[in-house]
Amino acid sequence: MNKFLVFLEQREGVVKKNSISTWNRVQELAALRGNSVVSGILVGPAEIRQLDGAMAGNGMIYHAKEERLRLYSQEYYAGVVADTFKREDCTDLFFADTVMSRDLAPRLSVRLQASLLNGCITSDAEVDGVSRPVYSGSFLASFIPKRHQRIFILSSDAQLSSCSAGGNIDFIDVEPRSFSIKDIVPVVRQIVMREGMPDVSEARIIVAGGRGMGGAEGFTLLEQLALLLGGAVGASRTAVDEGWRPHAEQIGQTGKTVAPALYFACGISGAVQHLAGIGSAGIVVAINRDRHAPIFDVADYGLTGDVHIVLPKLLDSLKEFLKKQ
Amino acid sequence: MNIAVCVCQVPDTASLIGYVDGAIDYSRVNEVMNPYDEYALEEAVRLKERFGGCVITVFSAASDAAKEVLRKALALGADRAVRVSCSAEVSDPFQTALVLSRAITDFYSPALPDLVFCGKQATDFQSAQVPSMLAEMLGMASVSGITSMNPSLDSLRINREIEGGIEYIDVTCPALLSTEKGLNQPRKTSIRGVMEARKKTVGTVQVSLHEAPYVVMNALEPLERKKTCSFVPDEDDLIRILSQKHNLL
Repeated sequence: MNKFLVFLEQREGVVKKNSISTWNRVQELAALRGNSVVSGILVGPAEIRQLDGAMAGNGMIYHAKEERLRLYSQEYYAGVVADTFKREDCTDLFFADTVMSRDLAPRLSVRLQASLLNGCITSDAEVDGVSRPVYSGSFLASFIPKRHQRIFILSSDAQLSSCSAGGNIDFIDVEPRSFSIKDIVPVVRQIVMREGMPDVSEARIIVAGGRGMGGAEGFTLLEQLALLLGGAVGASRTAVDEGWRPHAEQIGQTGKTVAPALYFACGISGAVQHLAGIGSAGIVVAINRDRHAPIFDVADYGLTGDVHIVLPKLLDSLKEFLKKQ
Repeated sequence: MNIAVCVCQVPDTASLIGYVDGAIDYSRVNEVMNPYDEYALEEAVRLKERFGGCVITVFSAASDAAKEVLRKALALGADRAVRVSCSAEVSDPFQTALVLSRAITDFYSPALPDLVFCGKQATDFQSAQVPSMLAEMLGMASVSGITSMNPSLDSLRINREIEGGIEYIDVTCPALLSTEKGLNQPRKTSIRGVMEARKKTVGTVQVSLHEAPYVVMNALEPLERKKTCSFVPDEDDLIRILSQKHNLL
């Protein structure tokens, strides 16, 4: 029997969308495999918002309520997850791909003596191996877990889970671990969120720009477009290295890997390092002056032209279009 | 203060990795220090310059060829370099972390270094697993992907980028920190640095490895990403397709 445990990440009492999507994907996997049980582990404050109705399937969520751990503590979180995994005799542990899971999962791999595989999609986990791009996205490597227990970090995926929400979820309180304050280093003192746009790693639509934007001013066009579409602005490495955009927005090998449903690549030539970050994007639209730019090889739709001419027109057309909706 | 920095070598992302007769052709590949490790080393050197009394030791678990990367680290300001030599082949992040932890434990025995710096991931396989695994094996606190650091007498104030914001973290030594792009601007090697590095020696620590890997890579093949691009004549067409055909707007 497979006993799947899903780590549900909360920030400030709100469970992340990525975690809920991971839960739903693991439910699908469990249904596909049969003879499987899905449960969740949630560490954080007693009051958790926006969870009802979003989650599919049946299962239990172990909830370690600890007001002091509203903010992330690596040592304490790792302890609670490891305890639950062992107590419930779980076989597999699933994470959404987030900064927190990348911090936590390798530690748990050692503590639980479990194989850790990142960059997975759920169908991979089903055949007990995963494939993901390596070497700047020019090669695809397959990895096989050798331990009986396994930890998977699931990549965000443009494909929405097909299972319907509204499952039958029970919450079970987990006894708080006794801990002294010295046990909880490092301590997250504070979190400051950026206002406005969603983060590129979570956005449904991304409007990204590269060298062709010509400078920081060029990106105001992309900001307007992102704002209209409810999306986020992304940037190529060049745009970040030139200081036009912050590193948090960088997409590609040395930046973030993203999986939006719609990706606009504006004035981006399409170096493999950039493409490595958008492999899971849904529809890719490229706008570039050079019809032979490599970005068009991975795009679904292309518009050839100078971004400074195309984008203002696109903005106008889009405003017209949205007005009529 | 003792600072350990772990470095590795990766193919320069600009070099072309070939594929001949079903196998990877590394002959035209130029190996360089993993870019994330450069931030790690730079941060250690800056700590030393600011506070004095720091001894920086770099560790690398890679093959004999890794001596080059250790030489470079010495030229950039490390005091000592240690090549971790191992009887068995090291093939996954778990084994890499294990041999590094053994080398660090041996080298500093019976104590531990005050700080360990690692790049947050290597650019070739991008597993991003070794730093946190190593911290767990050494029994140290760790923070991965740090983007700024402000050391004071009793603790380190650290920033880390999270989805949509910044986390402000306090950590005390001993700790392992893995470094993200944006933390600093690594210096280039200077002629003086290279000359001084010649006077320093690259040591070797022999460690045992009997544990099997946790993960095995069983296939590696070229990745074709090609899609067929439909060129659209104008902006209105694009909007029509995205809204009607794909329901995305």
